[in-house]
Amino acid sequence: MTGGSFSSTRWAVGGLLGLFAAVIGYGVWLEDFQRSFLAEILVWGVFALSVSLVFGVGGMLSFAQALYFGAGCWGYNVAVFAYGLSGWAPVVAGVGAALAFAIPTGFIATRVRQHHTLIVTIILSVLVSTILASGHWRWIAGPYVTRSLPEAPTLPLGALTIDYADEMSAFLATATLVLGACLLAMLLIRSPFGLALKAVRENETKAAMLGYDVRLLRWLMFVAAAGFAGFAGVLYLMLSRYSNLEFFDWTYSGRAVVMAALGGLGTLIGPFVGTAVYLTAAEHLSRYYEHFMILVGILLLVLVRFMPDGLWGGAIRILSIRFSR
Amino acid sequence: MYDLIGVLLLNGLAWGLIIALIALGLSIIFGLLDFINIAHGDLFMIGAVLAWTTVDVTGNFWIAFVLVPLIGFAAGCLIERGVMRPVENSPALSIVASFGLSLILQEGVRATFGTTPKRLMDPLGVTVELFGFQYEAYRLLAALIAALAIAGFFLFLRRTKLGTWMRAVRQDREMAIAMGVPADRIFMFTFGIGAAMAMLGGVVAAPITSVEFRLGLDVLPLCFIAVIIGGLGNLPGTAAAAVLLAVMEGLVSAFAEPTTARIVSLVVMSVVLLVRPNGLFAPARR
Repeated sequence: MTGGSFSSTRWAVGGLLGLFAAVIGYGVWLEDFQRSFLAEILVWGVFALSVSLVFGVGGMLSFAQALYFGAGCWGYNVAVFAYGLSGWAPVVAGVGAALAFAIPTGFIATRVRQHHTLIVTIILSVLVSTILASGHWRWIAGPYVTRSLPEAPTLPLGALTIDYADEMSAFLATATLVLGACLLAMLLIRSPFGLALKAVRENETKAAMLGYDVRLLRWLMFVAAAGFAGFAGVLYLMLSRYSNLEFFDWTYSGRAVVMAALGGLGTLIGPFVGTAVYLTAAEHLSRYYEHFMILVGILLLVLVRFMPDGLWGGAIRILSIRFSR
Repeated sequence: MYDLIGVLLLNGLAWGLIIALIALGLSIIFGLLDFINIAHGDLFMIGAVLAWTTVDVTGNFWIAFVLVPLIGFAAGCLIERGVMRPVENSPALSIVASFGLSLILQEGVRATFGTTPKRLMDPLGVTVELFGFQYEAYRLLAALIAALAIAGFFLFLRRTKLGTWMRAVRQDREMAIAMGVPADRIFMFTFGIGAAMAMLGGVVAAPITSVEFRLGLDVLPLCFIAVIIGGLGNLPGTAAAAVLLAVMEGLVSAFAEPTTARIVSLVVMSVVLLVRPNGLFAPARR
């Protein structure tokens, strides 16, 4: 997307670290309740990032990301309530659950053509939500889907212990974990795997001729993106200590698509920009106008018309045109 | 027991025909414009809301059958021109745009119509004795109207100039343009017809369901299932799949709860997709 020296990995990592330093500095400076709002933006940003990866990088129109967000919460809860684990184990369990769930569902979703992927992922979401809401299979899902954590989670880190009960430590831990996720996503996009996917997205037939297994690449990316969604679920659960059945709903995926598209699909920072704009706008507009979602809808229509690569994507494009002169 | 099955089958048939009508609208829009309209379920919902409003204002339900599809057609043309045309070439953007449209429609109805589900009076107010049950005659009429609309749609596609043009653009856009078919206008027209069919479905369904702003969210997945099982872009297949699924759901719900029936049909769909990714009725290659 960016041209010349700006695309080098060293620049990108440096830029990302600088950006996060700024965000953390800003968060430390904020009031307590504003700080937790910022932490929430970062967490939903990871969720939007998973859409950006599967949609923008993988070229798959997935509306199933909420499933993996929910699966992340579920895995965390199972580890805590069924096995009495604490610390990092539930985090791993949450991401693991999302990945494990994405392997079969992703297989179905990616072996069909592009337009089918959208439909199949919506139907999978409806299937899972219907099953969860119906009360069947309660032995798996029942006590772990809608659940509140009784106490703030703690994360051991060497000699230190991060206690989420403290607002500041919760923010710092969340921001650091989100930074980790971003670095991983960057690695993924810039790896040979990410580049191969780019080739697939741009010309599927050509990529297949060159010997890439298109289906396998897509499947892998789908599963990886689901891992990010699951991680977002885990981060959200740790921060708010609350998980709900409605996290599985496909309209939640839609919300993530909106946030990612606002910022720029396929970019790394875009989803966070989109999330920040969306959540801040929702927070402020909802005070004056109950039906602010109408405005969000109109904003989306205007955006796809005049700034199709999103706020961040558009800014990058304008800047790179400026600098390359 | 057999009486109950008979009634549930009839219910399934009526719903199946309504779903088929909506799903056909979704399918022609997809076939021509190559994008999936996420707001299609909300167009159906708008149709039901407008039917309710018609009764509220004029006291006559039957006016809605004429009025609402016309509004739907006009709205569809406007949406295609204003919203979809600029993003037509990017599937990702058109999905985002239709999601934005869906937000506007849902929230707009919530703001004006309210959040509480409303019920329409049975417009016929007649019951007939069927399988030992007092069956609402309107359900039979609803099935009939939906079936007639579907038949009319296929006749329109086969027998009129516009229908032929629509099929031509669908088959080969460049060639159709070269032969002088006004493809731009056909796109607009198709979207209008698709929207009108969804809204007509809403009118037909309004008296047998509760009218609320989330109505489309339940119907959209059903249409998707019909479209996928029937084969994306395969119109008769889509109609057949919708009826088949609804009847199957009706049958299963004779023995189990409705949610179980829904789960069964979703699982059947997943299996069909695994075995035949292009749908039940599609040839192996598109």
